[in-house]
Order: sequence, then C-alpha cells, then structure tokens
Amino acid sequence: MAITASGITVSLGGKPILQGVDAQVRPSEVLGLIGPNGAGKTTLLRVLAALLAPDRGSVDYDGAAARELGRAMLARRVAFLAQGGEAPAALSVEALVGFGRLPHRRPFAEAAEADRQAVARVLALCDVESFAGRAVGTLSGGERRRVLLARALAVEAPYLLADEPLAGLDPQHQLDSLQLLRRISRGGTGVVVVLHDLALAARFCDRLLLLDRGRRVADGPAADVLDDVRLAQVFGVQALRGAHAGEPFLMPWRTLDNEATP
Amino acid sequence: MNLPLVLRRLRGACLLPIALSGAMASVSLAADRPARIVSLNMCTDELVLRLADPAHIASVTWLSQDPRNANMAELARRIPANHGLAEEVLGFKPDLVVAGTYTTRATVSLLGRVGVTVREFGVPRNLAEMKAQITEMAAVLGEPARGQALLAGIEQRLQALAARRVDRPLRAIVLRPSGFTVGRGSLVDEILTRAGLVNIAAELGVESYGQIALETVTLGRAEVLILNETPDGPPSLAHEILHHPVIDRLGARLKRVALPSRLWTCAGPSVLDAIELLVRAVEEKP
Amino acid sequence: MTPQASPGIRPAPLLGLLALAVLALTGASMAVGYAPLALGQAVADLLAGQKSLPALVLYELRLPRALLGALVGFSLGMAGAAMQGLLRNPLAEPGVIGISSAAAFGAVLTFYSGLSASLALALPLGGIAGALVATVILFILLGRGASTTTLILAGVALNSFAGAATALALNLAPNPYAALEIVFWLMGSLADRSMNHVALVLPLMLLGWVLLVSTAPALDALSLGEDTAASLGFDLGWLRARLIGGAALAVGSAVAVTGAIGFVGLVVPHLLRPLVGHRPGRLLVASGFGGAMLVLAADIGVRLMPVRPELKLGVVTALIGAPFLFALVQRLRREAM
Repeated sequence: MAITASGITVSLGGKPILQGVDAQVRPSEVLGLIGPNGAGKTTLLRVLAALLAPDRGSVDYDGAAARELGRAMLARRVAFLAQGGEAPAALSVEALVGFGRLPHRRPFAEAAEADRQAVARVLALCDVESFAGRAVGTLSGGERRRVLLARALAVEAPYLLADEPLAGLDPQHQLDSLQLLRRISRGGTGVVVVLHDLALAARFCDRLLLLDRGRRVADGPAADVLDDVRLAQVFGVQALRGAHAGEPFLMPWRTLDNEATP
Repeated sequence: MNLPLVLRRLRGACLLPIALSGAMASVSLAADRPARIVSLNMCTDELVLRLADPAHIASVTWLSQDPRNANMAELARRIPANHGLAEEVLGFKPDLVVAGTYTTRATVSLLGRVGVTVREFGVPRNLAEMKAQITEMAAVLGEPARGQALLAGIEQRLQALAARRVDRPLRAIVLRPSGFTVGRGSLVDEILTRAGLVNIAAELGVESYGQIALETVTLGRAEVLILNETPDGPPSLAHEILHHPVIDRLGARLKRVALPSRLWTCAGPSVLDAIELLVRAVEEKP
Repeated sequence: MTPQASPGIRPAPLLGLLALAVLALTGASMAVGYAPLALGQAVADLLAGQKSLPALVLYELRLPRALLGALVGFSLGMAGAAMQGLLRNPLAEPGVIGISSAAAFGAVLTFYSGLSASLALALPLGGIAGALVATVILFILLGRGASTTTLILAGVALNSFAGAATALALNLAPNPYAALEIVFWLMGSLADRSMNHVALVLPLMLLGWVLLVSTAPALDALSLGEDTAASLGFDLGWLRARLIGGAALAVGSAVAVTGAIGFVGLVVPHLLRPLVGHRPGRLLVASGFGGAMLVLAADIGVRLMPVRPELKLGVVTALIGAPFLFALVQRLRREAM
C-alpha cells in the first residue's frame, strides 16, 4: 500500500524540471519534500497528486494507475492542499470545509449526515470550530491556513499532499500544524509536505526526500539525509546539531561562502 | 395651419414663396433653360426626370436607378449616377443643382460657395403642395409647358378615380416599417381619403407619422390592411414587423394590400398610382 | 464585510419562491400592453380554441413577449453567474466582458447577409457563434484567474472590436438603411417578438442551461483554485467546455432575438449571492430566476412608463446596472487596498 512514483521526468516550457525521480509515499508516515528553490518540489508533489502527467515515468496508487482508478476514486484516495489558498472571501468556514466532502457526495445531492459529521470532526481537529460561521475573508493568516487544512482533511483520504502549508504562519501555528499532521499520519494517513524550513523538516518528518535541480539526491530518515556533506553541497550551509529530551535537532547556522564566525 | 393652403388655392397657379416651417425653399424666376442639371435627391430626381429633357440632365442620384426604390428607374439608368458628393457634382460642371432640404448641408453650402446655382425643394405634405411643387420645379427647369401638361394629367386621373368610389367607405389601417402608421394630416392619410377609405389611425388621434402598436392594429376592427413595404428588398429589421405572425393571422380576415413606399415617399406624381392601387383593391371582390 | 458569513436560505424553498415570482411576473407581463385587452375573455377564448381578436393578441403578441422576457432573463442571469464562477471575478458578465457584443455581431452578420432569411435558425446560431468565439478568446486571455484589471481590459478590447466589426458589417450591408435601424435593435427590446422567436431559441437555450447547471458542484470546487478543484475529482477541461459552451448557447441565442440587454448577469448574481451562502454552484439556477424577474419587471416598466416610443430594454437595464458596476468597482478597490 503506497503511492509509488518511478522515473518521473518532467519538462515545463522546454526547461527540465524533474529528471528520473523515484519516490514513495507510505501510510502512517510523514514524508518531507525538501530542496533549494527551483529543485522541483512542487512539481513532484503535483505529479504525485495526479495533477500533472509526467513526460516519462509512472505513478501508481496502491498498485493501480491513475487512469484505471478514475477521477472520482482518485479524489477520494488523495487529498491535495495547494500553495495559494484561494477561496471566496464571503464564504463561511463551514461551507468551505464542506467542499472537501465533494468527492464523497453524489453530484447534486445535499450533504449527507456522514458528510456533516466528517466536517464537524475536522473542524474540531484543526481547532477552527469557534469560527465555523465566519466568512473566510475575515480570518487571520493562521486561521485561514487551518481552515484550508481542515478542507483537505475533510476528504478523509488515505494520502494527504500539502504544498508549503506553513508559509506565512507564525511560530505557534507552524508547530501546531506540523504536530497536527504528525497526529494525522499516526492515524494511518500517508502525509507528504513540501517544506523550506530544514529544522522543522528534520524534527517532524519521518523521512525526507531531498531534491536538487530536478534530481533525487537522498531519501531516508533526517539523520541520514541531512548530513554535513549534503547540507554543504545542496544548501551551501553548515548546521549546528543538538538534542533535547532525547529528540535530536539541527539548525542551519552559517553559509559557507563567508567564513565570518558568529 | 391651413392658411397657406387657402392662399395658394386663391392665387391659383401663380408662383408663391411658402412661409411655413421648413416646407419649401424660396423659388427663383429664372427664365433660362439649364442644360446641365444635376439632382442630388431621389425625390428631386423623379421630378427632374419627368419634366426635363433627358439631354439636359447631367446626373441623378444612384438611388433612383433602383426600381425597388424609385419610380423612374428605367430612365434614370441611362443617366450617369452621383452619390451626393461635392467633388462628383463639380465634375459634371452643372449649371443647376437641385437638392432636397435634407440633402447634406455641407455639400450644399460648398456648392453655393463655389458659385453653383442650387435650388432646394422640401417634401410636400399634401396633394396641393405637390401640385405647387411641380409648377415650381418646371419653372426652375425652364419647362413650364411640360409642368402644365403633367398637372393636367394628374387632375384628370384624380377626377376619374373619384368617380369610382364606392358608397360605404371601408375602414383601413396602414402599417409601415418599424410599426409606424399614417395619421391625420399626413400625405398618405389624404391618399386613403381620396381612395375612399377611412383611416383608423386618424380616428384614434394619431398625428402625422406616429407609431402604432400591433395590439392596436389587431383590435382596431379594420377591413383593409395596407402594408407598406419594399418587396424583395434586402433584409431589413424595420420590415420584420410587417412579417409578424399576427399580421398573417389577421390577413386571413381582411383585405391585405401592399402599397410600395416608393409610390409616395417623395410625394410626387406617383402618388396617383398609389390612389389607383387602393381604389382597385377596394373594388376587388373579397 | 460582516464577520458572520451569510448561511443563505435553504435551496428548495429559495428556488421555489423565485420560481413563483417568475410565474407571477410572467402573468403580469401578459396583463400589460398597448391596447385595452379583456384578459379573462382572451384566455377563455384561447383555451376554447376560439380565434377571436383578443385571443390573437394574447397568443401572438403578449405571450411571446412575456415568455421571451423570462427565457432571455433566465439565460442572461445564469450565464452571468457561470462566467463569474469560471473567471472567479464578480465583474465578469456577458455584457461587460464583451460576449454580448460579439453575439450581436454574429446575429447582425447573419441577418443582413440574408442568411437568416433562407434559414431562420441561422440567426440564433450566428449569435451563438459570435458568443462562442468571444468566450474562448476571453478564456485564453484570462482562464488562469487573471486580475480584475486584465479582465476589464479584455472586455473593453472585445467590446470595441465587436462594435467595430458590427459597424463594418452594417456599412457593407446591401440595405442602405441598415446602420440606422440597427441602432435601436442593439439597445435591446422585447417588442413585437413572436412565438416563432420563442420556438427558435428555446431548444438552444435549454441545451445551454443544462450544460451550465451540470457544472454546479465543479464550480464550487473551482472557487478554491484549479489544482484543488482537480484534486477533488473534477475534469477541468470538460468543466471549461461546458461553461463556455453553455454560456455561448444561452447568451448567443438570447442576443440574437432581442438585441443586447446588458447588466442582468452582473446585478442579479451579486444580489443573490448572500441568499445562496456565496456558493457558486447554487447561484446558477437562482441567478437564472433572478434574471428572469429583472427582465420581466423592466419590460413591464417600459410599457407602463408614459414614454413613447417605449424605452429600449437595454437602456433601462443599463441605467440600473451601470451605477451598480461603479459601486462594485469601488468596493473591489477598497478591498484591494
């Protein structure tokens, strides 16, 4: 049981974005997609979500290709949280989250009891119950992100693919969101997050997939992937490492083109 | 309102300046016969073609060459056409230009400024004005005799047609493009009256050329429906209303007469043809 | 904006109410006219198959006017809501963004070339073709959720081009009076239409409505962005095709028989959005009914007003809609700041 991508090659507008990338998304696991800007992380995520067809290579979902599954089935199996966060400003939080149930609802039927319960569950899970009746446009950045995450969770899909879900969030909400994603993965969901923050990626992801200029450089636990050599080669940084209450952490400390000591 | 009419009747066939709002321009007493006449208006075209020697006509408008719109198309086709542009006109080296009061002001004033003789004619509002205009035009063209002959013919026909009128005047309504009808005081109203018909629109108080709703046409209890259209013309929105299904349904209940606009739009001698057409339609057994 | 979002009225009662209002206005429209008509007598005669003059007026003149008012209003309202859903912008409306002018051009071309004289269906098809070309161009320029500025500019460009093309067609038309008589037609009117017009456009409009209504759930998803909509299981290509095709069918055939009646698709969705909880999917049918109500009411007003000849319908909707547009632009500016 997994989303398995092999040999993914994508060119957009003549430029090669991904070259021969393999990836696997497993249940109950948080996979972090990391890499410098332009490495192809968002593109890979979109290929995994079947939003973009690769020029070469294939993706299968628990053994079946996207075309075999069909759009409706695929929508129920893979939930996608986009980067931008577009939403009609005057729509209520509850209605927006309710849109996440569309893959489960018959085309013109009203929301069923199961749908209502699912919405209530995710509203509580993401801690947005208190403003369920408010218009989306009146929320703060952090509140809005949680609502959009709730929308994706409402799909109740076995796989959740999130593109930079922490962008623009303050530290409290960044930590809250990651803890929530980890909790969800412990419930059986296979989670993939595109992250820029190496410290957070190392802490909260079970596995990391490191991309650099369209190629897969490393794939495995944080300790293996983010060794000093890789940090230097791919990111051009040196990190401090430590541990707290048994949990290891790392923090990018210094860029390598200037030798000035702190 | 009728004073000028009375005056003209009193003075008979003499030439008069007409003083009413935009009716006709002042006339000249030119005695010479112009030899290169250019006409810039479809209505003046018709009079010129009827009264002047073809050899003296340099140009008439292109509109007169279309038999659907004009009454003297045959003759007009043998004469060079103009499109009303000043340069064209000057190219014909005219010694007389006749135009309508609604002909492009710019063109007319330009011609005037370069010294060309221009005479303007309005549209007659009734038969009396039409007859006076024929006299006036004949004088301007230097053909008073032909003018007299034309008038005499008209008088004769009018009397003949009047003799054919039936006892009880039938109720009629006229429907024109864009839903217009003819009311009191209009030329077509007079045509109807001389053809022995009662104009329902005049009864309803429509003045001159006003619009009438199809509903009113349908409920008006007419016995004759006069449709004013140009048959086989190019597609025209204004004519769509004349093909409305309700007209078809009505047409089954009353006499339908097609009255081509060209017979009367210029209020010229062809008006007599219009009157005769109506008289014949009334005489026809249903 | 109030913090509490409007939850809207439940769909079944809302649509039922709107439908009833449309029926009432259709009936009222048949009761208003230019000649005193004994309505009761006319209805009785009509039902009895008696071809009396009042029955004739009712069936041939008042009924088509009322029906067309409802059908055209429904099409314009729904198409407006659909365009706003597709382009994700509240200013998108067939008139503002140039679809109506393009449809008018298509209709003018088929009419004055004589094509519609030989094949009546050519007229609405011409309008639909014009609307289709415009909608496709718009989508190519704006499909990926372009800014309001780009939207309006595209609309200005299309309106200008369609206007120029129409003027050219009229200039070249064999009828020398074409340019004069079209001026009033372009302003939009329901006067003197017949049951032939109704029969001509009804099937095409129905097809358009079906295509549009089928997009309701997808439209909801699309409001969250294209990727999200695709991930929720919707085929974006098919969605766009239905929205573009449906709007072209609805607007194209409407404009072909009544001229350009603008702003209906702008005002109505805006007014009804709070009543459907701001859900784009539910807005479609509601806007249809709302559009029908607006056009019927305006048409009744035009006949009751003591202005003769009657005011053109497009003028009345423009007088209502243009200030509305200004207010909307102001609001969007404030929100952007």
